[in-house]
Amino acid sequence: MSRWSRLLVFLSIIGPGIITASIDNDAGGITTYSVAGARYGYMLLWTLIPTTVALIVIQEMVARMGVVTGKGLSDLIRENYGVKTTFFMMIVLLVANFGTTIANFAGWAASMEIFGLSKYVMVPFGAFMIWLLVTRGSYRIVEIVLLIASMLYFGYVISGVMSEPDWGEVLQSALVPKAKLESEFIMLTIAIIGTTITPWMQFYLQSSIAEKGIKKENYKVSKLDVIIGCVMTDVISFFIIVTCATTLYPHGIRINEAKEAAISLAPFAGQYASALFAVCLANASILGAIVVPLATAYYICEALGWEAGVNKTFKEAPQFMWIYTALIAISALLVLIPNAPLVILMVMSSLLNGILLPFVLVFALLLVNNERIMGKYKNPKGYNYISWGTVVVLIILTAALLVMTLVPDMNKLIG
Amino acid sequence: MPLFGELFVSELLKMPVLDPKGDELGKVKDFVVIKGDPLPRVSALILEEKKKRYCLEWENVGIFNKRIISSKVYSPRVEPYEPSDEILLIVRDIFDKQIVDADGAKVVRVNDVQLEGLRNDACVSGVDVGVRGILRRLGIENKSERFYEMLGKTLPRNIIRWSFIQPLEPRLSKLSLTIPRQMISELHPADIADIISNVTQEQGIAFFKGLDPDVAAEALPELSPDLQKSIIEDIDKDYASEVVERMEPDEAADLLADLEKDKAKELLDSIEDEDAQDIQELLAHEEDEAGGLMTNEFIAYPPELTIHDAIEKFKVDAHEAESVYYIYIVENEKLIGITTLKDMILHAPDLPLSEIMETKLKTVSPDTNQRVVAETISKYNLLAMPVVDDKGDLLGIVTIDDIVDILLPQSSWKKRRSV
Repeated sequence: MSRWSRLLVFLSIIGPGIITASIDNDAGGITTYSVAGARYGYMLLWTLIPTTVALIVIQEMVARMGVVTGKGLSDLIRENYGVKTTFFMMIVLLVANFGTTIANFAGWAASMEIFGLSKYVMVPFGAFMIWLLVTRGSYRIVEIVLLIASMLYFGYVISGVMSEPDWGEVLQSALVPKAKLESEFIMLTIAIIGTTITPWMQFYLQSSIAEKGIKKENYKVSKLDVIIGCVMTDVISFFIIVTCATTLYPHGIRINEAKEAAISLAPFAGQYASALFAVCLANASILGAIVVPLATAYYICEALGWEAGVNKTFKEAPQFMWIYTALIAISALLVLIPNAPLVILMVMSSLLNGILLPFVLVFALLLVNNERIMGKYKNPKGYNYISWGTVVVLIILTAALLVMTLVPDMNKLIG
Repeated sequence: MPLFGELFVSELLKMPVLDPKGDELGKVKDFVVIKGDPLPRVSALILEEKKKRYCLEWENVGIFNKRIISSKVYSPRVEPYEPSDEILLIVRDIFDKQIVDADGAKVVRVNDVQLEGLRNDACVSGVDVGVRGILRRLGIENKSERFYEMLGKTLPRNIIRWSFIQPLEPRLSKLSLTIPRQMISELHPADIADIISNVTQEQGIAFFKGLDPDVAAEALPELSPDLQKSIIEDIDKDYASEVVERMEPDEAADLLADLEKDKAKELLDSIEDEDAQDIQELLAHEEDEAGGLMTNEFIAYPPELTIHDAIEKFKVDAHEAESVYYIYIVENEKLIGITTLKDMILHAPDLPLSEIMETKLKTVSPDTNQRVVAETISKYNLLAMPVVDDKGDLLGIVTIDDIVDILLPQSSWKKRRSV
């Protein structure tokens, strides 16, 4: 193969991995990194390296399953673990992702308000545009839009550089692990990992690879796609932490959400850095608002055996399109209703995600080791130690996060 | 092995299988399926007891229903068994599989598998692809049904007959339909009749009500007379009259003859006069005689009509008539000759019909027995037989398709069992 045709093959295959990993940094992710940077400076940067490794290990297996079987993850779970398991999993995932979608619309509304745009105009507008994109567009168009949007994340890199950090210190913090025995520190550490590896990503990645119809002989390119995506997304997380750590941490400014980060940046890093941060937040939110409902529609349809795919029309895949439409419409509406209990919904959603993650990961691991399904593409023995190890660590951390979210909340409720 | 009606596999799973002493051999885990004619059949049950699997051959199964499954052999005679990948198991290989359309598009998933007693075998008769199947698997079918009833709705049944599914191979990853999904909803009337005969009467009637009256009119005569009768008695009057109006007069007459007098009269009164009159005429005859078999929709022209004019008229009249190959030549209602469509087309258009018609006629009278009619049609290789009264007036024709049903009594609806 000539160099050019090789490049063409490469370009035609990349996409799913990069997109999935990027959307990892949705409104919730950006909030976590901003808060972490403002609260502990560069101290948490080192967590990104093990997180990236874990992310690559998990995503690679899921991508491999998509390439080898041509089926989505919930396809496989339904076919191998039956109706009951699948059914309850789907219901929990639906509720969890509903919360995530709301969080993304809330992020979109918040970033628009930074620019003085009314959310009552911008939320319906945004919802309508992303609805149009998926229901009327083809897979390729959606993918290109998402890929371009993924590139926009580099705005965070620029705003990080604009904040003029002390690079020596940054590098040292990234490579040398530091820890503080403080509940807030531990919680933020786990939150960074928890927001990076989510249940819906596994479903979305495998489905989009299956829909793209990537062949086994091109699996290496797909693997590269996954690795590039995972590294990219964590480079961006890195710069979000750096930005907030350089500008907000020395001044002791505590923030609770990403919107505050964008606003607080202005006096220290300048108007442009602040605006850039806000634009990136808007971009991340809208991207999440496209992909999370899309992932939900994918796995529900796969589990029940209905036709699914962006390439299909309303007539060919009615259930798929309606689930997508309903999720967007209801989430957008809820964000606009004054005093809607958004925070409770979002907390519940992250709890449900935390409960689900172990199940999804264990199922994925069992499936990827099933010879009937994977044939010679099943996990090599050595690799299995790494992947089971990763999954066990993730499960322990998620369980810890669950307990920590649950307990202070209960305290608040009692107090 | 006694016959049973229809069962769903999910209702049988985890049921204990008892030996003649009443000891438990194990719980139903799966079913081995092998090719069979016309449907695949269950060749053995896989049982599970204390994590070990056993195989119980179908010949050794005693009672088999959703309350009791029994074995004719005692437990020590059942060998431990590990099913290989090469054999086909319902739960392992068919449950939850994707069903794709003839063109490869995903349609539905197998939510459950239906078994049906056929002779001494349990055959795989269909796959449940509806919500009902999912609810049954979740063990909440009855509860959901009551819930639906409270809302005044019925839970839809959605079963794809096995005959629409391509033969299975071991290690399959999906099932394919043999014909496009679209066509399953645009079934041939005979297939619709097949479906109606194979579900409970209630479901059959519900299904029938949803049909377009034109389709219903074609499907109804394919059913057994008893079933036809109960359907017509059950559906509402307006829909019934719409359907009867669209039926061939001879078939409508057969149906009305089976109904109670009041009901038949009520129906006759509600349909259009012209159709009602045709049916009334036919009703006067015995069912197993030429008069009862005949239809009064035929093409008849006067002898002086030219072929050209006849063909023009034919183009209009042929829409209505059941059998169009023969054109009857009638003078003052009296049958004087017959010609065929072929002859009309092959002769010069300016000739009158009287020039080309055949005058040596084979006819029967209305009280001729159907057997004799069949023999005559068969002997002279005719497509239709004119029925004339003693004055020689043409009353109607008996067409070959009505005769085939008599000659082959096993072929049509009689073969369909109703449950």
